[in-house]
Amino acid sequence: MSWCWLALVDAAAVSADAQARVYERDGSAAGWLAAWRRRHRPTRDARRIDARIVDPSGDGAWVSLVRPPEGVRLPFDDLAVQQARRAALAGRPFDGVSTLLRDASHFEGAITVARGAGAERRLADDPFCRVFRARILRVDGGLLGRVAPPCGPTIERYGSAQPWPWDRYAVS
Amino acid sequence: MSFLDFSLLDHARNTRRLSELAGGDPVILQFFRGWWCPKEQAFFRKLVALQDEAEVAYCRMVSVSVDPPEVSAAFRAGLGARWTFLSDPERSVQEQLRLRETTDTVNHPYVPAVFTLFADLTVHRLYDGYWFWGRPTLEELRQDMRHITRAIRPDWEAPTP
Repeated sequence: MSWCWLALVDAAAVSADAQARVYERDGSAAGWLAAWRRRHRPTRDARRIDARIVDPSGDGAWVSLVRPPEGVRLPFDDLAVQQARRAALAGRPFDGVSTLLRDASHFEGAITVARGAGAERRLADDPFCRVFRARILRVDGGLLGRVAPPCGPTIERYGSAQPWPWDRYAVS
Repeated sequence: MSFLDFSLLDHARNTRRLSELAGGDPVILQFFRGWWCPKEQAFFRKLVALQDEAEVAYCRMVSVSVDPPEVSAAFRAGLGARWTFLSDPERSVQEQLRLRETTDTVNHPYVPAVFTLFADLTVHRLYDGYWFWGRPTLEELRQDMRHITRAIRPDWEAPTP
């Protein structure tokens, strides 16, 4: 599958295919980030992401988790979201990036993954945090992998139900 | 004729294979001398203008030089390019492709060339850019992308009721 579900949940999810504990910048617990590879939505807050960034053998990482405020919906083709995708392609690549979707027409946030020296600081430049506020979180190993950046320069989705940057029509 | 499916480091030091970069899309594959060449700078300004169309047209762009990844990354950032730059400082792919510019015995760069490729790396057209006017115009690249896209997209003609 080209996509899977991702949600930030309070406790470990028995049904998740991969998950990891999550911490705020001050080290306090922030719950679990969980991923499910299935068709039906596992929780109310789950959103579709590019499945390539999920890797149960992945190392711990810092993430920028961008979500719209409660009740706010922004078209995926909004100019600000287009520009964030351009900026993601133009800049130094992160270890992984995916937009968050629930339906075929709305941008419902993004997750950007960074590792290494200065990773937390680099995430302040996550282009999607210019659209909605980001939470910078530390995620344990076991959930997020490292994915080579998109070839570019495509900013469009390959089918409106696909999270960007999934980059081909043929889906196995 | 199918293009060599080579692997090189990209501007972020990821190993990339050409077929993986192509995915299922048409490709504009450019070989260039280096950041220092005024002809390349002029041609890149055209390609950067084209990316505003390419970004919504489901095609890929790849640029290759003998510059190391750090130099490619800096040049790419300065141009405002949003596509992949590949680095061949060992000139291994250059040798396989026989694309060394033999008249430059100082830098040993790629001879400027542009290939338009189908998604399976079949070559549609080659442009020899040794002389600047041998390079494709943006209109020629548009026509090539139209030709390839028409051939590979089964729904090129919009479905009708």
